[in-house]
Amino acid sequence: MGASWATREWRDPVTEVYKPHVDRSLLRANLRLTPAERLRKLQDFVRFLHTVREAGRKARS
Amino acid sequence: MRPTDFETLLRVLLDGEVEFILVGGVAANLHGSARATFDVDVVYRRTAGNIARLVAALLPLEPYLRGAPPGLPFRLDAETVRAGLNFTLETTAGDLDLLGEVVGGGTYEELVEGTIALDLFGRTCRCVSLRQLLALKRAAGRPKDRDAIAELEVLLEEQRGV
Repeated sequence: MGASWATREWRDPVTEVYKPHVDRSLLRANLRLTPAERLRKLQDFVRFLHTVREAGRKARS
Repeated sequence: MRPTDFETLLRVLLDGEVEFILVGGVAANLHGSARATFDVDVVYRRTAGNIARLVAALLPLEPYLRGAPPGLPFRLDAETVRAGLNFTLETTAGDLDLLGEVVGGGTYEELVEGTIALDLFGRTCRCVSLRQLLALKRAAGRPKDRDAIAELEVLLEEQRGV
């Protein structure tokens, strides 16, 4: 199975419809980071989201 | 509910010398995806030694079946892992999916050849390649993955300078 990964190339017409909506600037910014920095960025975002959700939960209670 | 601590989950597995391959949303983020994810998905090797290391590594994180009612007689031990295959768990460090097999990619042994080695926290972590990740997402066939597949294809284009 592993040998076929490198050569597999297929364009799904449905996916092509979605692609123009992808924000390439976000991806380019991430590609300038190391994998460890990308993980840290994800962690920071998830923590931030958690804080916001908790604040919302407390406000509703 | 606490936010998932990706570093702790990965460190525990790496420090425990568990043989695993990162797949899913965290793998996508390591490749540059900008989509948020809230759990860690890994394909683990189902050898007796690795299952023993996996169980020992995760035990301090109190793994439990995600979404299951509390108090079930669930225990993540070697016998449980051998008898099962894929486990969706919650731990004190967040949600963790242990996959003995992944749709479109098969087992650890079938997947490992095309993976890449990443340096995380001074350790080597195996992760699916971007092409593998795309193939897995396509194979899963979930409508909710359309955006993710499009993003991964754009990432491939960006890496190739298209």
